[in-house]
This record gives sequence, structure tokens and C-alpha cells, in this order.
Amino acid sequence: MTTLEFAAVSFSYSPKRFMDQMSFSVAEGELVGLMGPNGAGKSTILKLAAGLLSPTKGKVLVGDRAIGSYSGKERAKHVAYLPQILDLQAPFRVGELVRMGEYPQDGSQVFSVEEALHLVGLQGKAKTHLAELSGGERRRAYIAMTLVQGAKVLLLDEPLASLDIKYQFELYNLLKAIVSENKVSVFMSLHDIGMGAMLDRLLLVKNGRMVIDGVPGKVLTDEIVQNTYDLNDSIGVYMAANRTACQVLSVASVL
Amino acid sequence: MKRDTKSNSLVAVALCITSLIIIVVSVASGPRLLNPFVMDSETCRILLAIRLPRTAVALLMGGALGASGAILQGIFRNPLADPYILGISSGASLAASFGIMFGISLFTLSVPILAFIGALATGAAVVILGHGWKGLKPERLLLAGVGIGFFLSAVLMLVMTLSVDDGLRRAILWMSGDLSMVDWELLPVGLSFILIGLALALARHKGLNALTLGDDIAYSLGFNPPRERLYLFIAASLMTAASVSMGGVVGFIGLVVPHVVRRHVGSDAAVVLPLSVVAGGTLLCFADAIGRTVAAPLELPAGVIAALIGSPYFIFLLGQRKAP
Repeated sequence: MTTLEFAAVSFSYSPKRFMDQMSFSVAEGELVGLMGPNGAGKSTILKLAAGLLSPTKGKVLVGDRAIGSYSGKERAKHVAYLPQILDLQAPFRVGELVRMGEYPQDGSQVFSVEEALHLVGLQGKAKTHLAELSGGERRRAYIAMTLVQGAKVLLLDEPLASLDIKYQFELYNLLKAIVSENKVSVFMSLHDIGMGAMLDRLLLVKNGRMVIDGVPGKVLTDEIVQNTYDLNDSIGVYMAANRTACQVLSVASVL
Repeated sequence: MKRDTKSNSLVAVALCITSLIIIVVSVASGPRLLNPFVMDSETCRILLAIRLPRTAVALLMGGALGASGAILQGIFRNPLADPYILGISSGASLAASFGIMFGISLFTLSVPILAFIGALATGAAVVILGHGWKGLKPERLLLAGVGIGFFLSAVLMLVMTLSVDDGLRRAILWMSGDLSMVDWELLPVGLSFILIGLALALARHKGLNALTLGDDIAYSLGFNPPRERLYLFIAASLMTAASVSMGGVVGFIGLVVPHVVRRHVGSDAAVVLPLSVVAGGTLLCFADAIGRTVAAPLELPAGVIAALIGSPYFIFLLGQRKAP
């Protein structure tokens, strides 16, 4: 079942920076990555999906309705968006933050605060200040809030950026668990090719246009990546090393 | 929002008890110490005409400023935001000082009414200037407030420098938070505006919490950030206007009381707003009681005393290694 769909979406900030006829969809329970060079339009796509921006042409559909047609509370139960930079100064405790997920609710909650905290591995930290958490833990606390919110699609702008390998894998495993067990879809932008290779599906964009949409094995070929990022050298060595490292680490994290 | 209920309740109860004790002390103390258990006619007269209205005004003013500061810091996501820094107090004091210095007295309530108009007009000007092409922007609003505030303060200083008459001293006293001109007549209007502002803010406490996380996340949680910010700004302006019109400009409380309250009970606005009212009111009431007692018959402005008492405690709290 499709939960998020871009139907020929166009959007422009200025005549030079625009997005043209973007079409793709994200199905229920999918973990989809959005990759591309800086300035390709990744953040714009996520903000369009969140309803923070409105398309100039075309439609962004969430649960078969245009995102703009929902009331604020209804929208919050369909999509949740987390920006790349989460406020380090937010003066809340973990429990206070996660409870804000209850705001759009009217008693029909999918996850309780305790369940969400448990799912993201922050049980027992409800009274800890956000400022005292590591970057990875803080990201997980915000994700717990979106779970309480009951959103069917989580839109995450570079959630892996600035996390070290351990936290990247923790977050990856968490997202994997969320999508497979709870029919939630995750649509996130990222830069790490190794991580991208582990997702269900990848969209590669450049200059506001879709380059390719498919499984990582089909998208992350030497030729496509070189052309998309304007590289002069083969990325074969880097990718092989990366893939081996990923396999080792994912085995290790399962153990 | 549920919260760390037990320890927060303890803080709330302790604060309320302290507040009650200070109210009694404030009513009893002054140039002449009253014994509340001996009610002769003179005691009654002083109580009704001077002490009770003054204590009530101090409580209301401090409470309104505490809540305004908590709101403004949240909607601007800036720990330095308060009614004073945002120019709202300056607008009120300029209008009121004109009234005092030039003896404008169309009717008895002219000074507070002028202050009120000044505060609301400044608040409105700040909102209009703070409107970007996509609605109310926190940085823009903050800069507009600071800019307007500086301008109004400069005009006020200019007018005061040029003025030579006796109004000058009164205006300076009033601007430094002197509560000696208070009487019962100011209370109903001030109280009603503070209640309206507080009710509006409490009804929007979820929006205030969400805005503290940033507009994108507030939107993602189902809020309309510019609209929430506007409602909350109106609430803060109403309370500030009421406070300044009753007793002049008091800095410090709006800035510091919310921070102190958050240190003890966390940052949930549903808890911080009411407790900032109680803490701000209590502090100003205590400061005013001291100010009119220690050097009697000379009166020390309550705002000055509040800062003298409050700052060391605030600095002590800052020094403790605890997350914000």
C-alpha cells in the first residue's frame, strides 16, 4: 500500500533552483533513502512531503489525499518530519519531549510514551535532560516522539550525519525494526553510500530531477554514481571496502 | 502533559506556602509595623488604603512579568527575551512618562491608561515589523522589538533631559519600579487583562512547548507556528501592559524568574507558566516590602531590590552544574 506519493511535483525557489516533474512513491513498511549531491533538492523533497512547502505543480499525496488538505492534527498522524539539526538547547527532559507526541492525539494512540522509549532504547532515561544525551540518543528521543505521534511516514533529513559508526548502526537497526514491525515507512536523506546500500530502496536525485529509483544494487553502480556526483574516478574500491565493513558491522550488531 | 508530578507538586506547594508567608509579611511591614491580630481603626485604614492594594499590585505585576518572560523566551527561542528587552515596557513607560511629566490628566486613570496604550501600540508595531513574507519570524520579531525599544528609550531620555520640572523625579521613580503611587482603582483593569493573557497562554501551552522545539517540528506536530506565536505574543503583551500600567517598569523578573522556575520543575509550559506567576509575584512582593521598610521613610524601588535579591540566587543556580 502506498503511503506517500509524489505525482509530477514541481517546485521552484527561484528560476535557477527548481524541481521539475518529480514522481515516486513510498510504500507501507519501506525504508527508503534519498541521495544526491549537495543542492540536488533532497531537503526540498522532504519538506514538500512534510507539507512545509507546497508544490507549484503536481500533488503530494499522503494516504491518498493531498497533504495540504489535512488539518494540522490529521496531518501529524500521517507524517512526521525531523530536520537535520535538532536543537541542542531544547530545554526539555526526554520524557517531556516524547510526550509532546501526544499533542495531535485524541485517545487513539498507537504507542504509549513508555513503549516508544523502550523501542528506541531510552527506557529509564525519561528524566534525563536532552542536553545530557549523546547525538545518537537525542536523535532517538525525537524519533520516539514521532512514534507516539502515530505518524505513518517518518521523514528524516540526514539523521545519520554527525553520528559515529556505532550510532549510525544503532539508528539503522532501530529504523529497520520500526518499519518491519510497525508498518511505518521511513523516507530519509543521507550521504553515506555504505548505509545507502543497506536500505530497501534508493532514490538518486540531481539538480531537482530524479536520476534513478530502485534497489541499492541497481542504483549504486559505478557509472551512475560517478555521473550523478561528477566524479572523475571509479568509486569501486571505496564501495567494496564500505560494503565489507557494513557486512562485518551488521553481523557484529546482530551478535 | 503528564510530568514529573511528585517533585513538581512539592516545589509548587513550597512556593505557595512561601508566597502566603511573604504576603502576610508584606501587609504587616512598612514604615509602621502593623499587628494583624489587633484591628483598630487606624490599622484598618492603613491596611485597606495602602498595604493591601500595594501588596496586591506587587503580586500581580511580578506574576504578569514572570509569565510574560516565560512566554517570550519560548516563542523567540531565546533565553534573553523578556518584556523589557523587547521594547514593550519602553513603549509603556514612554507613554506614561509623557503623562506624568506634562501632567496630562483627562481623567484619574490617565497614567496607567497611557502606559497600557503605549505597551499595546509597541507590541503591535513589533508584530507588524516582525512579519516577514512567510509570517511571524522569531529573529525578525526579536530584532524589531530591540530596535523599537532602543528608539523609544532614546526618545524618553531626550524628553526627560529637556524637562526641568518636578515631573522628572516622579517619572524616574515610576520607571524604576516604584510602587508608592498605587491605589485600588488600578486593580480591576490590571487584574482582568492579566487573567485574560494568562488564560490565553495556558490554553496555548502545548503550542508554546512545540514552538520551543523549532517551527519545523511544531508544524510536524500539527501546529501552525506563526499563528501560535501571534496568540502567545498577544497574551504576553496584555500581561506586560497591565503590569507596567499598574506600577511602572520592572526589569529582571521577566528575564530571570522563568529560568529559575525551569531549573526546579523542568520546561513544560503547563507547569512553568503558573509557577512563574507565583514566583514572580512573590519575589516582587517581598522586594517591595523590603524596599519600603529598611530605609523608611525613604522608599527603595521594588525593581531594584528584586534584582539585588534575585541576581545572586540566579548566579548561584547558574554555577551549579546542571543541564539547562
